This record gives sequence, structure tokens and C-alpha cells, in this order.
Amino acid sequence: MKEINDKLTKLEEAIRKGDDQQAAELTKQAVELGATPIQILQDKMVPTLKDIGDKFGRLEIFLPEMMLAADAAKAVIAILDPILKESKSEGTTIGRVVIGTVAGDVHDIGKNMVARMLEVNGFEVTDLGTDVSVADFLSTARQQSVDIIAMSSLLTTSLPYVRDVISVLRETGEQENFKVIVGGGPVTEEWAKENGADGYGKNAADAVTLAHSLVD
Amino acid sequence: MRNSGRLVDILDRMENGPVISEKDFELKLVATRTQELVEEYGLKFDGKNIINTDNDMADRCFQAGLTLAVDAGVFCTSNSRRLTWTRREIEDVIKYAPQSMTIGYGRDSHYDTHRDPEDPKPPTIIGGPVGNPLPEDLFLPVMQTYIQEPIVDSVINGTLNSVYDRAPRAGSPWELLSGWHEAEMSITAARRAGREGISIGCVQTSTSDIGELSATSYGGFRPTDYHHIAMISELKTDYKLLNKMAHLIKTDSIIHSFCNPIYGGLAGGAEGIAVMGVAGMILLQMAYMTTTHSTSPTHPFLQGCNTTPEILWGTSLFTQALSRNTPFLIVVVTTPVSGPGTKSLFLETAAMALTASVSGAARIMGPRSAAGTVPGHCSGLEARFMGEIGHASAGLSREKANEIIQRIVPEYVDLLNTDIKGKRFDEVYNLDTLKPTAEWLSLYDQAKEQITGMGLKLS
Repeated sequence: MKEINDKLTKLEEAIRKGDDQQAAELTKQAVELGATPIQILQDKMVPTLKDIGDKFGRLEIFLPEMMLAADAAKAVIAILDPILKESKSEGTTIGRVVIGTVAGDVHDIGKNMVARMLEVNGFEVTDLGTDVSVADFLSTARQQSVDIIAMSSLLTTSLPYVRDVISVLRETGEQENFKVIVGGGPVTEEWAKENGADGYGKNAADAVTLAHSLVD
Repeated sequence: MRNSGRLVDILDRMENGPVISEKDFELKLVATRTQELVEEYGLKFDGKNIINTDNDMADRCFQAGLTLAVDAGVFCTSNSRRLTWTRREIEDVIKYAPQSMTIGYGRDSHYDTHRDPEDPKPPTIIGGPVGNPLPEDLFLPVMQTYIQEPIVDSVINGTLNSVYDRAPRAGSPWELLSGWHEAEMSITAARRAGREGISIGCVQTSTSDIGELSATSYGGFRPTDYHHIAMISELKTDYKLLNKMAHLIKTDSIIHSFCNPIYGGLAGGAEGIAVMGVAGMILLQMAYMTTTHSTSPTHPFLQGCNTTPEILWGTSLFTQALSRNTPFLIVVVTTPVSGPGTKSLFLETAAMALTASVSGAARIMGPRSAAGTVPGHCSGLEARFMGEIGHASAGLSREKANEIIQRIVPEYVDLLNTDIKGKRFDEVYNLDTLKPTAEWLSLYDQAKEQITGMGLKLS
């Protein structure tokens, strides 16, 4: 048990450093010593990532550290996924999210912050990038059976595309299948409500709280 | 210097530059390299001085930023290639970059020139809400209140929330109409204010290339106005932005391009945004042949404002770095969280306008009240105040400016995370007379008195 704990402590350090290779290696070693995926994920990785996300929320660390930690976490999950599938265990992810900046808008840092914060908080995130068409949001959401469609818009001229996604979901009767969350400069809570979104996130930390509340 | 030869050269680099994944560009060339350079050049925010007073650190910051510009270049997201230049190529271009220009026409024209830190020449004052979304019915009166301020040398438009009451959808004919609508209304606002020739910053409602290309043509915005091209944070561009550049070069337009480093983002903290500010402003010249270099570093959580102590310091450092080592016409945007009807709007504005003026900004722009995010929350009165601060601090020593700003910032910094969006334009201005309400004017008077009491003499 002590050996496992030592490995998990080192794994935490590797995740905090954003060292994906070391994180993968330590995960392998912990598994060989008998650590269960639950010990690795729920007891160690999830709290570590939450702490990293909280620190970013207070700007005690910055985006690159969080991006690297998210990569290290992905490396851990890649090692554990076959084991989890074999044992038919569940719970590697809290929920699936497709995220992107809507058509006509190429701002990406705010959206990237939200994506990384969601990842480090246990969500499986598909990031479609910027200038994402309505069709791409919808097809990805359907193909991956996501729980949440997250759209960012920094421009008033791009807001109509946010509304389009919500309208299509309504018209096709798919509104019950996905939760839609929105954010970005010109978006307000009132706008989100008026246009049928399920939630509005003022910033990255807010978006995580919102996403949690929608999948719980 | 800009010419068609350079235009073709830039497009060649766009097509033939080295391929790299976006993630590698961000993490290896931007984030990691920026932190290495911060260490290598010994850049440090001590948490005390809000305005940098150390010339040597400013010069080291310039060298760090120049190195980042050489090492990273600009990433084109349309083809995953980097536009790169050697140090010598960059230094040659910097040498001949524009250091003055005349904007506007007739008696409304204005001569803009490079400024140094502590320069006694007053900076150019560009009043306007800098893209704040404006309800269509308020666009004209709002813009008129900026143009009618005598201290305002040039204006910067807001964006239209709607066009003929329809959504101005990006990339569609509605965007094209929005660009034209913006031109028609802002030129009308200038005529009504009696300053038809004033230079107008445009096309704010054009987010893709088509709005810009359309409204920058016969009957639309004029050759004496100035045109925006963004650099995507950090150090990225794409075909649409380069389309704008090519069009603006061929139409001999004034290019006002901008890069807004994100605090806490890929550049990291205060020191990182200073290095990124230098690199970004240099690369605006390399990739866009810009006439003016604009910036509003952005806070990731506080609505995108730039009035926190860390961002004020970073802005002061890179503005000084550039003004001491290049002929650039540097533009600093004032982006407060506060909106009209709050005294904190004036205090936040004072902090950034003071920082920009004593650090060598040639032009101070804004304020982008309520961080440009709350529709209609902006008015001309705060631009008057910004101009008065910019003028009063021209020639002030950075040490004295530091003493003053140390007294201003504590007055508002704890409010930044609260609801200080204030009131909409039509609640602080009389729509018939286009004059501020007595209440709004009284807050302006109080703020002036307060700032004067802190040591900055306002007439």
C-alpha cells in the first residue's frame, strides 16, 4: 500500500508539472502494483485537477500550466481506459462536452480556458476550435452523444449563430438531448435566457460550475 | 514603410512558412519561450511600482519581445504555417515604420506623432466605445457625444447590435449591410456634430473580411478614416484577416491593427504580457504593415478589463519598451469594468490614461466603458475625462505618475469584481440636447476634484 501511495504522490507531482510521459509511466507502475482505477482517478487525479483548476481561477497559475496538466491527465486516462473497458467500469468522465467559438468569430483564448477548465474538472471535451459552423456543432453533438454544447461568441455579429444552434435543436425536437451553455463578451444571462440556452457562464470558473449543475 | 512588394512578400511567407501544429505553436513557441525570455532578461513586477520607472528594464523587455517575434513569428490558422522573419529583416522594417501621420481632413484633420516616455507633447485622444455593442437607435446619438467633445481628436466606433432591426450575422450579406450602416451613421454623427472631417475608426461591425472590404469602398468610409485588423491572441492570424490587410494596402488606407495579450493566458503573468506586447506590436508591423499599433491587454475573468495593477504595469513596461526603441505610433486602449453613472469609471480611466500618457503612447483610445460588453453602456463624457487625464499627464515624470496612480488604484480595485456596469447611455444623457445629466456631470466633477487632490492638476 505504501508503494502505491508513493507512486500516486509522484503521479500528482507529474500532473502538476504537466509531464505527460512521466504521468503515463507512473500510472502504469501504480496499476502493476495493484492500484485500482478508482484510486488513481477519483482519489488522486480528480482532486489534483480540481485544485489546479481552482488555482487558475485565482490566477495563481496560468493557462500553459493548466494546458499541460490537462495533457498529463489525458495520458493517465489513456493508460486506464483499456482496463476500465475490460472491467466495464464507468466513471472516467463526468460528462461529454462539445465546445467551440461560433461562426464568424476567431477568438479562442477564452474558449480554450473554458475547455481546459472543463477537462481538468473531469469532463470529456471535444474542442472544435473557432469559426465553427452550426452544422459542425450539431453533427459532433449527435455523433458523440454529448451532454453539453458549449458555445463562445465575442462578437455581436456571431451571436445569431448561437441562436441558430438552439433553434435547430428546438425545431428538430432534440432540445431534450443536449444542454446548451453560452458565454463571451456580448452574451449576458438575460440574452441566454431569452434565446433558450440552458445556462450562461460569465467566465471559465463559472462555466465549470454551470456544467456540473447541468449533468448532476 | 509599406508597398506592394512587401505585400507580396508577406503573402509568400504566409504560403511557404514552416508548418507547425497550433498546439505546438502555442505551448512551445509562445508560452515556453515567453517564460524563458522573462527569466533570461530579468523582468520582474515587484508589486509596488504600478508604472515602470526603470529604463533599463524597458530596454531589456524590448530585446525579449524582439527575440520572441523572431523565434515565434505569426501563426496562420488557415494553413497551419508560420510567417517568420529574421532579426535583421525585423530591424530593417522597424527602422522605416510610420512615426507620424495626418488623420481626418480639412479643419478636422489631426497630426499624430510618435511619443517618448514623459513626452511633453499631448497624446492624440481617440474617443469612443471601441466596439461596445450599441442598440441601433442609440448608435448615432452616442457617437455624436464623443465627436462633439473638443478634446477628442478622432473617434472610434461602437458596433451595431442590429441592422434595420435584423441581426448583423457575420459572413452574410447582413454583415455587409452593417458595415455600410455603420459608415452612414457615423459620418452623419460627424456632420451633426459639425466635424465632418474627423477621422473615424472603422469598420467595427465587420468581423469577417467582407464587411471591411465592402464598407471601405466608394461612398463608404473615407481614406482619412482608419481601419482595424486584429491579431488573434496570441500571435495568430488567418486568411480573412490577411484579406483585410491586402485590401487596405491596395486602397492606401490607414491601418490600425491591434493585439491584446491575455493576462494569465499563454503569455503568463504581468512580465509575460509585457514581452508579448512587444512581440505582438512588432509583428503587427511585419504581418500587416500597420500604420498604428494598438493594444488592450485583457483580464481573463474581470470582463476583459485592463485596469488591474498587474496589467497596468505590464502595459507601462511594453509601451515604454516600444516607445524607446521604435518609431511606432503606439495606441493604448482604456478598458474599465465600470460603466456610465459610476465614479469608478473615471478612476479606472484615469489609471490607464495616466499610465499610457507617461509611458509614451502616441494615442489613447476609449474608454471602452463597461469593458465594451454591456450594450449602450458608454457616453462621451468619459472620453472628455480620459483626454483631460492624457493631456495633464504629458511631461509628468514616471516617478510622480507612480505616486499618483498608487492613490488612484486602491479607490477602485476592490470594485472590479462587483456589478459596476452602471447605466445605459439614455439614462446619463439627455437624448434631446445630447448633454450629460446633472447627476452624471456631478460625478465627473467629483472625480476631477479627487484626481486633482491626488496630485494631477486638471484644468
